[in-house]
Amino acid sequence: MDKRTEICRCEEVKLGEILNAINNGAKTSKALKLATRAGMGICQGRTCQPVLEQIISYYTNQNIQETPGLSTNHPVRPLSLEELAGNRKDL
Amino acid sequence: MVVIGGGVIGTSVAYQLAKTKRKVMLIEKGEIGGQTSGSCDKAIFLQSKQPGLPIQMAKASMRLYENLEDELGMSIEFKKNGGMIVIESDTHMDAMAKFVKERKKAGMDVKLLDRNETLAWQPGLSSHIAGAAFSKEDAEVNPLRLSQAFAQAAKRYGAVVRTHTEVTDIICADGKVTGVQTTDGKIAAETVVNAAGPFASQIAEMTGIGLTIMPRRGAILITEKIEPFIHGNILCSQYIAAKHAASGDGDIPPYGIGLSLGQTERGNLLIGASREFKGYDKAVGPDVLSAIASHATRIAPALNNVNIIRTMVGFRPFTGDGLPIIDKAKAVEGFITAAGHEGDGIALAPITGHLVISLLEDEEHYKDWLKRLRLERMHEV
Repeated sequence: MDKRTEICRCEEVKLGEILNAINNGAKTSKALKLATRAGMGICQGRTCQPVLEQIISYYTNQNIQETPGLSTNHPVRPLSLEELAGNRKDL
Repeated sequence: MVVIGGGVIGTSVAYQLAKTKRKVMLIEKGEIGGQTSGSCDKAIFLQSKQPGLPIQMAKASMRLYENLEDELGMSIEFKKNGGMIVIESDTHMDAMAKFVKERKKAGMDVKLLDRNETLAWQPGLSSHIAGAAFSKEDAEVNPLRLSQAFAQAAKRYGAVVRTHTEVTDIICADGKVTGVQTTDGKIAAETVVNAAGPFASQIAEMTGIGLTIMPRRGAILITEKIEPFIHGNILCSQYIAAKHAASGDGDIPPYGIGLSLGQTERGNLLIGASREFKGYDKAVGPDVLSAIASHATRIAPALNNVNIIRTMVGFRPFTGDGLPIIDKAKAVEGFITAAGHEGDGIALAPITGHLVISLLEDEEHYKDWLKRLRLERMHEV
């Protein structure tokens, strides 16, 4: 890997940006997400999260956490607004 | 000095304290901008504020925003793209005409648009829209970058930022603050600024001071990236009703829903929002999310086929009168509150840092404003 290696494909975040964020104090994948957008794209970190955790572990000498650093939230898979709205007429 | 809370308010305060050559430590229990400031929309609305002090503070804050990117040395994606409050039915037009008139009187550039003018500016909206209030003074910013930029700039002025550190007690002696106890040791400080937003009451309790800031929960839907869909930011007249309705008011829509619509620089739409009192419970049910989607697609049917990739939930720090608390505690010397901005934290973050400095230095400049932001007003109701 070099600094131009793409870590988050959805948001096109490169290793260099991740390392900058770590130098600025980021110690968790959530902090990296807030600072660089890694994990914010359409796959919601499903692809890059394990790599992010390994990078943090390698550069900050921490063990990889048992619980994932990125929280999951609704919806489990992308869902259109029409599907989410259903056919409710009350609002 | 210790600042508790690393959201837009705490980081703005820490930045101003460090810039004015004070020794500052910012303590955040999670990540910088990880709670309220990371689960909000991106609008800096002026016209949605009430005439009087709320609009005056928002205007002063907007003037600070104009040069903030240069000052902080980092892009915060600040843009003056204008803002629109969409009016869905003709029956709301009279109320909104009054709304526009009041704001013009307060010195704002707001105008009432008819259906055609509204749709010409926002072609993605439904043709049943009656009109809109529009102001080119409204702007937008990326709140994630805003708190990061304040924190980084504070560090350049010598501030120390400690994340993943929780304050567990405020240490006082003879009615004065002497330090804070954290999960990572004790820190001596004669001044502590409580900028913990929706958690500020818990911090205040450690000193025995009663502070009633309640968490008002909001949920926002985040879509996949799409081509530019809107110009500036959009609210609807129901949002204004929900925002300013006193609790117990009969006019609050179900789940406190009103549209807030913005688009990030990358193309994701942020679609909000709800307003509910549910304690610190982040588990928002599908009923609320479905209601937000239903309301949004009624106003902008073109959204029907756009995919939601995530939802986010946060707590607005609610004081009850639409104004934050920025004050020194009378009973505990050195304990300062800068919290309770509810949904106006992004708009008011820059000015809040200046107000705290003004408070500390006992300046004349903002005295009239600070008088109205006092803690005691909560007990006078």
